[in-house]
Amino acid sequence: MSDFAVDIETLRKRYSNGVEALAGVSLQVPYGSIFGLIGPNGAGKSTMVKSLLSILRPTECRGTMLGEKIGNKSILAKVGYLPEHASFPAYLTGRQVIEYAAGLANLSRAACRSRCDMLLEKVGMTEAAGRNIRTYSKGMKQRIGLAQALINDPVVVFLDEPTDGVDPEGRIDFKNMISSMRGDGRTVFVNSHLLAEVEQVADRVAILTKGRIIKQGLVEDLTRRDARYEVKFHGQMPVALLEWCHQQQMKIEGDRITCRADGPLQIQPLIDRLRAALVVIREIKEERFSLEELFLQAVTQSREESVMAKGGKP
Amino acid sequence: MIQAYTILLDSLRMLRSSKLFWVSMWISLLVAIVYASVGFTQTGMSVGFGLWDFDVPVIREGSPESEAFYLLLFTDVIVRFWLGWFSLVLAIISTCSIFPQFLQTGSIELALSKPLSRLRLFLLKYLGGLLFVAVQTGLFCLVAFVAIGIRVSEWNVSIFWAVPVITFAFSLIYCVGVFIGVATRSTVFALLGALLFWAVTLVAQWTEDFVYKMAYVLPEVGLSVNMQTGEFQETPEDASSGMKKTYQRIQSVTKVLPKTRECTISLKRLIRFQERDSMLAGVDLGSVFAGGDADPVVKEAMQKYELRHSWFTIIGTSLIFEILVLALAARIMIRRDY
Repeated sequence: MSDFAVDIETLRKRYSNGVEALAGVSLQVPYGSIFGLIGPNGAGKSTMVKSLLSILRPTECRGTMLGEKIGNKSILAKVGYLPEHASFPAYLTGRQVIEYAAGLANLSRAACRSRCDMLLEKVGMTEAAGRNIRTYSKGMKQRIGLAQALINDPVVVFLDEPTDGVDPEGRIDFKNMISSMRGDGRTVFVNSHLLAEVEQVADRVAILTKGRIIKQGLVEDLTRRDARYEVKFHGQMPVALLEWCHQQQMKIEGDRITCRADGPLQIQPLIDRLRAALVVIREIKEERFSLEELFLQAVTQSREESVMAKGGKP
Repeated sequence: MIQAYTILLDSLRMLRSSKLFWVSMWISLLVAIVYASVGFTQTGMSVGFGLWDFDVPVIREGSPESEAFYLLLFTDVIVRFWLGWFSLVLAIISTCSIFPQFLQTGSIELALSKPLSRLRLFLLKYLGGLLFVAVQTGLFCLVAFVAIGIRVSEWNVSIFWAVPVITFAFSLIYCVGVFIGVATRSTVFALLGALLFWAVTLVAQWTEDFVYKMAYVLPEVGLSVNMQTGEFQETPEDASSGMKKTYQRIQSVTKVLPKTRECTISLKRLIRFQERDSMLAGVDLGSVFAGGDADPVVKEAMQKYELRHSWFTIIGTSLIFEILVLALAARIMIRRDY
């Protein structure tokens, strides 16, 4: 069996109007991980999820999901999905929406009843479950959406912009709920443009822009790349030490030295030299690239490359 | 099975949430109660459980004519006009939004992301729409069944033929609404398209009906119409060959169209009541009110007219049409990206 819950060799989607939404994407999502797919609006994030769930018909798709060929309807029994801008039938109550999803997933009534109560409790909607969904706020609808996505006890859960329109408190709840899914052994695939949130919960990310994945990997690895340390000092720096710092490509601004380093070992020589020169060290801070910086850098780079390829100036 | 139950239950919930469903249901019950309120007195008939009396000696209490009249009221007025017309219009208005709403972004994805084939989803959703008419007609027939049982002492279950037949007649128009709804995802287009199509088929059926009478019924009773004066005149039977050719041409067009009107009219063939020694036996209510007598020649010609279409022509060709339209709609739904 593959180690990946989702293993896409290649995925391409070209719409009938000629727009290439996905230009041969390849990615792997390990079992039990939280995978964040990030990208600007129109990058193809939703198209990718919809292609995996047979909501869209990909132009070309080679790969597997839960060990079965992508497109095989039977695997959807083990998959949960919360669409972007989910629109639940207004005539149903919150509980009925979950029961409806359970029925479509072929879940028996007994199993549905016990899981429904548990999930309503989990998403904090037990009290409002009997109310008509049209009376719900956006955040409440998203909570019900999350519960319906989990009703069939899925192995993989796809969440497309799950916190869109949710208030800050709700977002924290969502983050915790997504984290708890990992604890339950589920694989979670989150589509989002809220990078800080993805960074907080995801183990792995992929940056998608213009239908291409321009960067992917473990969040830790990606943000560690170009990681830097910031050292704050007190007092005068000897000229010799200043020169040494410049030679080492370190940046000095006022009372602050910034140096690129993959780990703490690499800044030990600087600390030694500062101590030897009797410079007082006030603070040492490890600074990583945030996902946002990484994302902006990657997107800008991709844009420049695209302009260059067309023969223009970056 | 669980999936089918879920989709049908959802359709029922959707219908129950619609105001039109309840309006239609209450009107339907009202019509049924008005029918049940028709009674017969020593001098004629009464309506509103004796509230209004009408002197019509021929249908006075206890006469076989009163029983025949009560049954004719059901087959010729209620089935034909209420079930065959008004309730269908209300049902079309209520159900044309089912597919456009279901195919909305954010809604369809939920269903498509489940282990359920698109074709099955389409068919179950379609059947859900038919529930609207089936439920309403079923309830109506139940009241009518009880009313006829009490008034005429005839507990006739053939009344319930109205449920499948009226539902089928509705489905012939509804399938066009579904096709347009799936293709355009617009309730307005689906509704207007379905109603317009219904109007076209009705005009075709009326034309066929009219020309048949001119070509066959009138010559059989030895009459024809003077096209210049519009008056009836006596003519030999073989003088209508031109009209017969016209009828054949019209028939070739109407054959491929669904026959909603014929379906509801054909209910008269299915709802069979006990033979009664009544002068109203074998006539329709229109001729009763027109004061027509039961001339054997006219009666025979009218019977031929009523039976001019075989079951295949009425149900078979309509069913073929429905299957074709649904196949097209299903193809669009299955192949589309959402």
